[in-house]
Amino acid sequence: MAVRQTVRVRVNGLERVAETDVRRTLVDFLREDLGLTGTHVGCEHGVCGACTVLMGGQAVRACIMLAVQADGAELLTVEGLASPDGTLHPIQEAFREKHGLQCGFCTPGILMTTCELLASTPSPSTEEIKDWLSGHLCRCTGYQQIIESIQLAATRMASDQMVLSAQ
Amino acid sequence: MNANPLSELPQHQLPISQPRYVGQDVPRIEDPLLLTGRAEFGDNIHKTGMLHAAILRSPYAHARIRGIDTSRAEALPGVAAVLVGAEVKAQSRPVFGIPEGWTGHALAVEKTHWAGEPVAIVAAEDRYVAEDALELIEVDYEPLEPMVNALEAADGKGPVVLEGKDTNVMYARKFTFGDVDTAFAEADLVVNEDSRWHRSAGNPIETCVCIARWDPFDQSLTLEGSHRSPLLVMPALVGALGLSPTQIRIYTSPLGGSFGVKTFARYVILLSLLAKKLGGRPVKWTEDRIEHLAGNSSHAWDRHHNAAMAVRQDGTITAVRIRAMDDFGAFGEWLGVGQIVKPITIFPGCYRIPAYEYDCAAVLTNKVPQGPYRGFGLPSHYWVLEQLVDLAAEKLGMDRAEIRRKNFIRRDEFPYTIPSGNVYDSGDYEAGLDLLLEKADYAALKEQQAAARKQGRLVGLSVVTSIEPGLTGTPMLGLLSPRMFSRTSSPEGMALRMDGFGKMIAQVGFPWGGQSQHTFVRQILADYFAVKAEDVQVVVADSSTMQPGMGPVSSRIAVALGGAVVGAAKLLAEKLGRVAAVMLEADPGDVELKDGAFQVRGAPARSAPVPQVAGFMLARADKLPEGVDGNPEVSFVWNPPDHYLADEQGRSHYGVTATSAVHLCMLEVDHGTGQVEILRYVMVDDCGVRLNPSVVRGQLLGSLAQGLGNALYEEYVYDDQGQLLTTTYMDYLMPTVMEVPVVEEYEQCTPSPVTSLGQKGVGEGALHTTPAAVRCAINDALHPLGVHIAEAPATPFRIWSALQAAATSP
Repeated sequence: MAVRQTVRVRVNGLERVAETDVRRTLVDFLREDLGLTGTHVGCEHGVCGACTVLMGGQAVRACIMLAVQADGAELLTVEGLASPDGTLHPIQEAFREKHGLQCGFCTPGILMTTCELLASTPSPSTEEIKDWLSGHLCRCTGYQQIIESIQLAATRMASDQMVLSAQ
Repeated sequence: MNANPLSELPQHQLPISQPRYVGQDVPRIEDPLLLTGRAEFGDNIHKTGMLHAAILRSPYAHARIRGIDTSRAEALPGVAAVLVGAEVKAQSRPVFGIPEGWTGHALAVEKTHWAGEPVAIVAAEDRYVAEDALELIEVDYEPLEPMVNALEAADGKGPVVLEGKDTNVMYARKFTFGDVDTAFAEADLVVNEDSRWHRSAGNPIETCVCIARWDPFDQSLTLEGSHRSPLLVMPALVGALGLSPTQIRIYTSPLGGSFGVKTFARYVILLSLLAKKLGGRPVKWTEDRIEHLAGNSSHAWDRHHNAAMAVRQDGTITAVRIRAMDDFGAFGEWLGVGQIVKPITIFPGCYRIPAYEYDCAAVLTNKVPQGPYRGFGLPSHYWVLEQLVDLAAEKLGMDRAEIRRKNFIRRDEFPYTIPSGNVYDSGDYEAGLDLLLEKADYAALKEQQAAARKQGRLVGLSVVTSIEPGLTGTPMLGLLSPRMFSRTSSPEGMALRMDGFGKMIAQVGFPWGGQSQHTFVRQILADYFAVKAEDVQVVVADSSTMQPGMGPVSSRIAVALGGAVVGAAKLLAEKLGRVAAVMLEADPGDVELKDGAFQVRGAPARSAPVPQVAGFMLARADKLPEGVDGNPEVSFVWNPPDHYLADEQGRSHYGVTATSAVHLCMLEVDHGTGQVEILRYVMVDDCGVRLNPSVVRGQLLGSLAQGLGNALYEEYVYDDQGQLLTTTYMDYLMPTVMEVPVVEEYEQCTPSPVTSLGQKGVGEGALHTTPAAVRCAINDALHPLGVHIAEAPATPFRIWSALQAAATSP
């Protein structure tokens, strides 16, 4: 029988505790032990970026990390972006408006990377956006509409920020 | 808001003065769930008591199985069952495929046929344990010499892949249309090229998923997962398992991309057989990425071409000969072999070529069996054809754009029947070319290129065209199996229901797959009945409740589902109209639907809004006219018009619409590294009326990126033992955002006269055109050095090697 260990994480603001096999990947832990199936598995070898989540605000690939390595961490997954009342996060809204997704399978990972990008670089250049997206594979869109979505999100979030600081 | 193209379209079939949704960038139905991580993709599905499957795969490309010992695996705690080839053989027939008789069972039985072929499958309490169990299965293999060289396979040399056969040539046919020999004999110029297109694949980011449950009490099978269309899977299951379709129920989940691969009949059969061993417990198999790359029947188009074009001095193309020999892999599973014949449906592309010969073959080798990939065998065809046009232009000293213009089918020649029988519905290729040349400022680009060349830079230009058939019908499959495909129907159905408040439920037979089909169903219906978009919901039927329909294959959905939606809406309007006639005390023949209300013709003041009529229909059974039931619900199945079985020569009206595209590519090749940098990419396409322009744009940009992958990066590489060397995404290189250029897109709109709203199929899109555009531009760049690339992908190493060879040759 595989060795098991208790993993305690804060996911999307909620404390979650579960006992899990020490060999379990973080993405399997999120999806199967915590029921957070919005994070997807695309390649299981750290190339496609579909499984990207934020750990302590930084994008990590949950498919090449063990769940036990995340013990004690603060995690944000795609389920934590929109408000419970159904209001989309501005990044999600921008992707919807600019048709930044087709099948939507790689999208959660791209949204999470975008969160970190816009937190660290509120007005990214196209080159910066491309640089951040370079760790993601999208097979549907050809990326152009993703870049446009992120540009729109950046503009909106920057102007929201200005309104907030003016208040 | 864009001017709505429908308003200028006299034949559009929407009873609304000004469409508000069709032709607009309406937000997608699919997005809220996808964006919030709440869409139920196949792998999210969890069933009570569910087991997890893992598959043991052959390490050898070709080996005899002398024995399998599963006892240690079965003894592992948590393992519920292990299934091996002998049981599969006893309980099922080989996997469905055309031509018939060229496949194996769902698990290898006496021998293995490719490295990665399933040999055993385990069901266990969790996937980790199932994979542990695989390591405990002992297989005694006797390695055999693998067949890895398709040219030898075609010549009858080397080992035979399939037991019981005496050849590896699975399919071979030479099609001749027109007097090819005379055209070549009388040509002023003949250009030739031998070329090689290596295998690549769709590679959706979501892999394949199947959950199977066998009910031992009522002897029924339930399947869920990432199946793109129940109707495409059902015949394979019925054929292999000997069940009646009434014993099988297939539910589909949203697809995380498909690009042709989400049928996986072999695995659906395999999971069904495993489920039969589990006494009613459901079992899930989620393919991992290495399995997808090395194990699924997903590779496509591994072709050797010999091509020639006959041309007159003035640039008129008089004939083309292409020999295409496809290294098909181990089996001819499902409909994959259809990809070798599809080029005859559009063989001459945009040109008036009166005679052509297509000599095609598919041969077996010990490699992954091919399956359908977006484009279904056409991208490599245009990659050959368009290069021939460039070679001819160069020899004649003609401009590449002008030789194409000279040979274009002219705008007044539509509908245009090509020599192989297909009919192009409409188009204006010359206008498309003019738009492209103007927008790209072609004359200036040529000057820039000349200036760059003077500096010794390797800058190339191309102008390339293609035709994308919207819906290729079943008569094409009849070329491979007249027995199974003696049919002309390619149905797409829809059930449509309205409640007493005018809210609608439209039921389609296939899940989301990225192409936004459910959104345009909503757009069309909301305009047809003049209701709000949110008042139309689209639900997915399962195999037992769906109307006949094939789902998203072959660029057919805008055309086929577009036809089904309008057909169903018309039927519902007719039915409601008879009730409205009662309410309005008018003759049914005088009642018409307009802008969301039934009116008496000539007296528009006498009218009843649609919801009121539907409510009346549900509430007042006593008032219903004779023969009308109290149910505002209809179903309608659309089929392509004018399809007929192919004649002896292989001619048929294969398609419905013909979308045209013309692309310009300007690029630079790095002399030192062979690296290609795209400097400019401009495209014009004509897919008729765009039901949702953003969606069309997404299809085009996405397929362009895939085409770029084919042109420059993507390749499954095998060694001489039949071992696949590209089994991860570190080795199989798909374009990232860093490789895909910013594309300038311009649109033409020549509405189709044969579809419900003037739309044309565009789902496979730029994949038809981009590989050719990139290669022609590379060869233009390399031309001053006398270097020519005839391989796809044109990797830096291939280009660099060719440059080195030219530099050292005398």
